[in-house]
Amino acid sequence: MSQDTSMQGSTPYTVEEVEHVSLDDPNVSITIQSDPYSMSFQIENEDHTLGNALRYIIMRNPEVEFCGYSIPHPSEAKMNIRIQTYGAQLCPCKVTAIEALKRGLVDLVDLCDIVMHKFKNEMGRFGKHEPVQED
Amino acid sequence: MDEMDFAGPDAIGPQVTIRQANDRHVDFVLSNCDLAFANSIRRIIIAEVPTVAIDLVEIETNSSVIPDEFLSHRLGLIPLDSSQVDDKLVYYRDCTCDAYCEQCSVTLTLYAKCTGETNVTIYARDLAVAEGAPCGTPVINDPDGHGSIICKLRKGQELKLRCIAKKGIAKEHAKWSPVSAVAFEYDPHNKLRHIDYWYEEDAASEWPRSSNADWEEPLAEGEPFNYDAVPSRFYIDVESVGQIPPQEILEQGIKYLQEKLAAIIQGLTGADANVDGFSGGARSPPGAHGANGNAGGRDDSWGDQGYTTPFQSGGRTTYDAWNGGTTPYGGGGGSSW
Ligand SMILES: [Zn+2]
Repeated sequence: MSQDTSMQGSTPYTVEEVEHVSLDDPNVSITIQSDPYSMSFQIENEDHTLGNALRYIIMRNPEVEFCGYSIPHPSEAKMNIRIQTYGAQLCPCKVTAIEALKRGLVDLVDLCDIVMHKFKNEMGRFGKHEPVQED
Repeated sequence: MDEMDFAGPDAIGPQVTIRQANDRHVDFVLSNCDLAFANSIRRIIIAEVPTVAIDLVEIETNSSVIPDEFLSHRLGLIPLDSSQVDDKLVYYRDCTCDAYCEQCSVTLTLYAKCTGETNVTIYARDLAVAEGAPCGTPVINDPDGHGSIICKLRKGQELKLRCIAKKGIAKEHAKWSPVSAVAFEYDPHNKLRHIDYWYEEDAASEWPRSSNADWEEPLAEGEPFNYDAVPSRFYIDVESVGQIPPQEILEQGIKYLQEKLAAIIQGLTGADANVDGFSGGARSPPGAHGANGNAGGRDDSWGDQGYTTPFQSGGRTTYDAWNGGTTPYGGGGGSSW
């Protein structure tokens, strides 16, 4: 049996295996399940501003099978994001959920850069402000 | 009008078309972009771009008819000049001082007394900003140069107070919002049917046309409803109160969005060591996926050649995030719309 087939099909996990990993940044925690291709992340002090855009950009990744986010309670500043990748099914790249999250974050930073660049260019093209028209 | 001209060679990826810009508002069309991202920009502009506002008032004398807390609230709502505030003040919660200091606050004083027979009106212009303050001058937009009304005094009434203005964001209190409004619209003809118009007999004749309706083609006669269509053009008008110029508000908004992302990227990078330990061999060998470099030929997939980002060394693979519909999931699974 090759290594590839042994990786195939997601490993079933039990609730006991769920653990928290502490990170350098106390604002991000990962609920790790034994399956690295299906993970939930909890990001503190974030809301729909980040959640929905991140969810969208992660879904654009063809390696990602599912991505969804939720804010479990409106008075708790916590945002949960769930990522499931195809793992070994689609291609041998085996992108893990953490890698998909990281790439989503980087892609979103790049998207911001592009919009900023386009806006500044357009602002230059538009020229200096028109005088204010008082209503 | 050449604003409709989107079909240049640069037309891949998000496009920005400014329709109107002055020192009060900037009206632009963000196209070839998804709703989630456009909405993030709107939300961050409203709630997370910092400004300065009066947050603490030390009242020595207030013999006006307005109670102290009422007066403090009114003072808090006065817009103060906050351009580039990030370089000028720190958040008072991050400051090393006990209560407030020059690094985290600006002091404004007000002393007014009515001595004549007629009532006097106290305006924002009567607030005296501490000498050498980097920001915090009251915003005055009216032709008479008055600014907002604080209160009125009758003969013998007196106001003597010190205001401490601090940097903050509108997520904490709306007085810190840099905008009076952000107009946001998509699909002016409701082709996507995201709106279910109430009507008596005919929705089209009873509802006013959107001012953005001329910017898109209406549904043609007999054209079937497109179930796969997603919004991709957003009409955004950022309307500044005067604390920060509107273009700067937008640029700062994008910057803060990136800072949020960078903080999480940093948190996750710290996590790598921990994560590696738990699953023997489940991680792919380095280099098997595109996350390690392969910088050559990257830029073209973004339709924006020669523009590099500070994060580009990070994990970008060759899939094409923007060029629309090339991925199996190109349509974008809108789970939360
Ligand atoms: Zn201080």
